[in-house]
Amino acid sequence: MKNISIALWTEYMKIRKSKIFFTTLIIFTIIPMMISLMMFVSKNPDIASKLGLIGTKSKMFGENDWKGYLGLMSQLIASIGLLGFGFVTAWVFGREHSDRTMKDILALPVGRPSIVFAKFIIIFLWCLILTVVTFSVGILIGQVIDIPGWSPALFSDFSKSFFITYFLTLFLCSPVAYLAGYSRGIIAPLGFVLLTMIFVQFIGLVGLGPFFPWAIPGLYSVAKDEPGFQLHLSSYIILASTFVFGYWATLRWWQHADHH
Amino acid sequence: MDDIITTEKLTKKYKDVLAVSEISLNVRKGEIYGFLGLNGAGKTTTIRMLLGMINPTKGKAFINRKEVHSGSTDLWKEIGYLVEIPYSYPDLTVRENLEIIRQLRLMNDNNVVASIMDKLRLTQYANRKAKNLSLGNAQRLGLAKALIHNPNILILDEPANGLDPAGIYEIRELLIDLAKNKGVTIFISSHILGEISRFSTRIGIIHNGKLIQEINTPQLEQLCQKRLKINTRNNNLAKSVLHQAGIIAKDTTDNMLEIQNETIINNPESIATLLVNNQVPPSLLNVVEEDLESYFLRTIGIKGE
Repeated sequence: MKNISIALWTEYMKIRKSKIFFTTLIIFTIIPMMISLMMFVSKNPDIASKLGLIGTKSKMFGENDWKGYLGLMSQLIASIGLLGFGFVTAWVFGREHSDRTMKDILALPVGRPSIVFAKFIIIFLWCLILTVVTFSVGILIGQVIDIPGWSPALFSDFSKSFFITYFLTLFLCSPVAYLAGYSRGIIAPLGFVLLTMIFVQFIGLVGLGPFFPWAIPGLYSVAKDEPGFQLHLSSYIILASTFVFGYWATLRWWQHADHH
Repeated sequence: MDDIITTEKLTKKYKDVLAVSEISLNVRKGEIYGFLGLNGAGKTTTIRMLLGMINPTKGKAFINRKEVHSGSTDLWKEIGYLVEIPYSYPDLTVRENLEIIRQLRLMNDNNVVASIMDKLRLTQYANRKAKNLSLGNAQRLGLAKALIHNPNILILDEPANGLDPAGIYEIRELLIDLAKNKGVTIFISSHILGEISRFSTRIGIIHNGKLIQEINTPQLEQLCQKRLKINTRNNNLAKSVLHQAGIIAKDTTDNMLEIQNETIINNPESIATLLVNNQVPPSLLNVVEEDLESYFLRTIGIKGE
């Protein structure tokens, strides 16, 4: 446990001063602001008609109320989270290769499994901060622009859905961590994340989304009852298995691969 | 003496490339073992196998009689290492980079960071980000990370890279002090024999993945070839005189004559007498010892006899 807390502290030191951490914070602050802007435009059709494209896009809310707004926020954390959390994971694991510091952490009294575990914890915490920021900014600006239809029950349901979606999306980071090691860098895991986002679209179209790990958080966030959108127990097992397999592969790679 | 580092037929093969072939060596306590080879000879691969970073295809490595593997965390407590060019976290300062290593080495004493910065003359750069360090200071930071916990065993891969002559001298003296006065066992790789022979107690030469020679450094001088260089006003006549006396002299690239006969090299005055008596007095008569680099290149077969 001591080794893990030390490894966690060192991972914190590494991200504390990195520009990447603050960049992701800014991005995850801007995104809910953009959704709020669209809601604002949607609420004010006279402005919408003057803005062309934004005016059309703003119709995605369905109803211009908190329900539509929060529904889009939930979907946002699934899709942007997939990309953002993937990026965070690729950076936390891949930077040791791009900064060429990997060899410095391979033969130390704090073993490699502790370092890998600490990296996953720091990813979870980092992504949690991003999620909380998106959530808070979204709610705050929603209040500021005075979206109609607020209710404590709606807020409670949304909060639950939003953070469960965050949690489910996190399960997808371990294969990215493995790829960062296997490819010894950041580019390949990021390419993988983009590829999965493309696959999600195709697999969703043929109705196999509930069985494709990268589609599951998104399906959870929309919570539709139509066939092809319903999640089963097996969906969650597939998602958990993806994480376990990714974690196992990452650990095995750190412990047994040749580190050049 | 106790064997601290031992390898038994250590081999690493990548598909068709035999990077390291059946290297068996041992390094004793307090010894400075110079591991010499050209770039790509297999030095770094061997060092990475000693540190559990690369799995041997065949053979084993032992440190303190314990077999090395990736999870040898107890073993790593006693070892300081530097592999190839040292890199540090670019956005962290020198002090923060060392603080990370101090923590990961489970050291409770906060003063060790200041102490090692002082020892390696890094104190004035303590708050400078690693990405803004000069090559020499980045190398010092790498060495500081290797030495921070006062290890009993040091495994260093080309530690003099990027250092200026004063820095090389300073590190050399530091390593000599560690080995002589503190009994630290040092395994150090280099591609410069002249440098490594100045402080190693034993040298192993690796070429094309094979350990082709192991020598005690004091023996090195005896193994270096000596030549008697001669210059006269008429070297053709001198060569003919020597030939008539049964002595083979070769022309050199700098238009002199050269004799490799050991008996004559030990009695150069006999040549002087011979040449003077035949009216070709020598203007230069000099016993030249082969330099270490020539010896190294000759040993690995790059430079002829």
